[in-house]
Amino acid sequence: MKETRRGGKLQAFLAVLRYEFLWNLRKKKTIGLFLIVFTFVTLRLALFPLLDYFSGVTLRPDPSFVFDNVSVLQPTLLLFLLAIATTMNTISGEFESGTIIPLLTKPVSKGLVFTGKIVAAFLTLLGAYIFLAVYTTIGGLIIYGPQNNLELVPAGVLGLTAATMVWAAIVIALGTLSKNSMVAALGGFGIYLGTTIVGAILTIYLGATSILFYTPGDGPTATTATCGAVIEGNATSFITGTNGLGSVIMNWILNPALSVNFCGIRFRGNRPETFALSAESISTVALRDIGVGVVYIIALFVVSWLALRRTQITE
Amino acid sequence: MRNRFGPKVGNFEVPVPPAIDVENVSKSYGKLLAVDRLNLKVDEKQVHGFLGPNGAGKSTTIKMLVGLLKPDSGSLRILGQKTTGDNPAVRRRIGYMPELPKFPKHLSGLELLDIYGQMYGMSKEERKSRASELIKMVGLEGRGKDRIGGYSKGMQQRIGIAQALISDPELVILDEPSIGLDPVGMVEVRDMVKDITKTGKTVFFSSHLLGEVQQICDHVTVLNKGVSLFSGPLSEIGNKAVSRRLVVEVEKTTDAISNYFKTLSYGTVESTGNTFTLHLNTTQDIRAEVSRGLTAAGGVIVGMRGEGGGLEDAFLSLIGKESLAS
Ligand SMILES: Nc1ncnc2c1ncn2[C@@H]1O[C@H](COP(=O)(O)OP(=O)(O)O)[C@@H](O)[C@H]1O
Ligand SMILES: [Mg+2]
Repeated sequence: MKETRRGGKLQAFLAVLRYEFLWNLRKKKTIGLFLIVFTFVTLRLALFPLLDYFSGVTLRPDPSFVFDNVSVLQPTLLLFLLAIATTMNTISGEFESGTIIPLLTKPVSKGLVFTGKIVAAFLTLLGAYIFLAVYTTIGGLIIYGPQNNLELVPAGVLGLTAATMVWAAIVIALGTLSKNSMVAALGGFGIYLGTTIVGAILTIYLGATSILFYTPGDGPTATTATCGAVIEGNATSFITGTNGLGSVIMNWILNPALSVNFCGIRFRGNRPETFALSAESISTVALRDIGVGVVYIIALFVVSWLALRRTQITE
Repeated sequence: MRNRFGPKVGNFEVPVPPAIDVENVSKSYGKLLAVDRLNLKVDEKQVHGFLGPNGAGKSTTIKMLVGLLKPDSGSLRILGQKTTGDNPAVRRRIGYMPELPKFPKHLSGLELLDIYGQMYGMSKEERKSRASELIKMVGLEGRGKDRIGGYSKGMQQRIGIAQALISDPELVILDEPSIGLDPVGMVEVRDMVKDITKTGKTVFFSSHLLGEVQQICDHVTVLNKGVSLFSGPLSEIGNKAVSRRLVVEVEKTTDAISNYFKTLSYGTVESTGNTFTLHLNTTQDIRAEVSRGLTAAGGVIVGMRGEGGGLEDAFLSLIGKESLAS
């Protein structure tokens, strides 16, 4: 105990990380949810080629398969599942099991424990996405032939991780406030479902309305096509909400001068009609998206931290 | 290592602060006053029992000591440092076993000790040797690599003791270490606590069992309904209680004998037939004097015995018999 005081804080931090990683990686719930996500990614990779194979159609190479599939996890519900898997027990589980008592009476401050748990969640998600991205890339190369823009894969991984951290922050905040994992998981799911449904309804009646920039979720869809026109062959569209951080960042790096359109919907009599709501540069879209994501993450972590700091542990 | 005599300031030795210093601490849960203006001092190297029936406020006090709960008023210090607020520096110097502790189920006993040890800033080698030593000491040899989720209640108590000792702390705080164990387990855990006291650490442990405190401690604080009824050396607890009696039986009661008892200033006398019961107000042993006096008064002593004054009586008279039953 004598010479070890130096670097004691770093040691303590590493200990909290280890504690969290082992917790994350050994929970059946976590492993189960990871497997679900892995299955979806595998289906996405192999289902169509297999169907094609059995129906005798020759597979067409798709050089943007990896780009498309690393930028967004489809369905975006998977983002939420990964967030739930890593964070539903993060703080609430410690209270439920009573393990918070021996933990917080060790020479680690609440702040260090809290930071360690968040860093561990981030690294767990980052690790999961690195694995999924490598898997998608190798699978894509084998199945769909040479791929374009592979150098953007790391940016996509970071974007996906950030997008998931928004949901993770929501789940952690609910868990810290309620000290109940079920409330964290179901409440988080409620918020996910609520924003998704409201987003879908708004999109049907209003199109890519700007309110959706500021709620967590898929957000408005941006397109390089002209609103109301017939879709051109090489036009792309992508979601620009917090769920779309990966695609937004990848498109931004790929083509920094890109300008995108947001199309609105209005009704002429009973006939819906698409019209141009706004046009923006990709950098505006990306910076706003990153800003919104970061504000959500920081604000929710601050709320969680304040709740944890003033909590007395009565059991 | 640590300076046992405290830092030197100029030419003065600063006195060593008590290991535990609780001053005028109160704590309520809603309307329930769980700890009521408690004062408690535990000096270094003491083995101090914190004795009281269930619900006395022992765990509440201990949780305030280790920083889990905030007191409503008063101050708590451990080894001279405040424990309220978040003070990891002071926690570095103590080991704490919570009442019926719960640990992450997915970790093995050895992993738990290793991770907790790392939180104390211990090196890998230190952790490893200390953990295997402790696993042996608490009787979990061969089970260290099993997940805690598969441990029985007793094994969880044992790993609870081990984790409190992982950093070789100066002060060990144990909250009812033997609660919920079978009789054999209780004896084993008691022996472990005795072993800890032999290592020269300050030990503060709570219990609702008098016998346990009596066997292990040199000092005791008796708590009931949040109020401290006695705090001091174990040997003095009997003095506080007014229940000591001397019962003398003589062959035949005479006026001389009755008068002799009346002249005694050691307490009040009650007589029934040939038996005189002296309700003592002193801790002195007056048997020899009484026997000489009675002989001089021409009496023949048939029997003489002391009653009360044991720890049990003292404890019971302190807290009132009804509290123990609950
Ligand atoms: N979290 C809590 N909420 C409300 N009352 C509590 C809580 N913890 C303890 N108490 C009450 O405070 C009193 C003291 O409890 P405790 O400190 O656990 O006693 P002991 O450890 O001596 O058995 C008891 O009456 C108990 O019911
Ligand atoms: Mg208790």
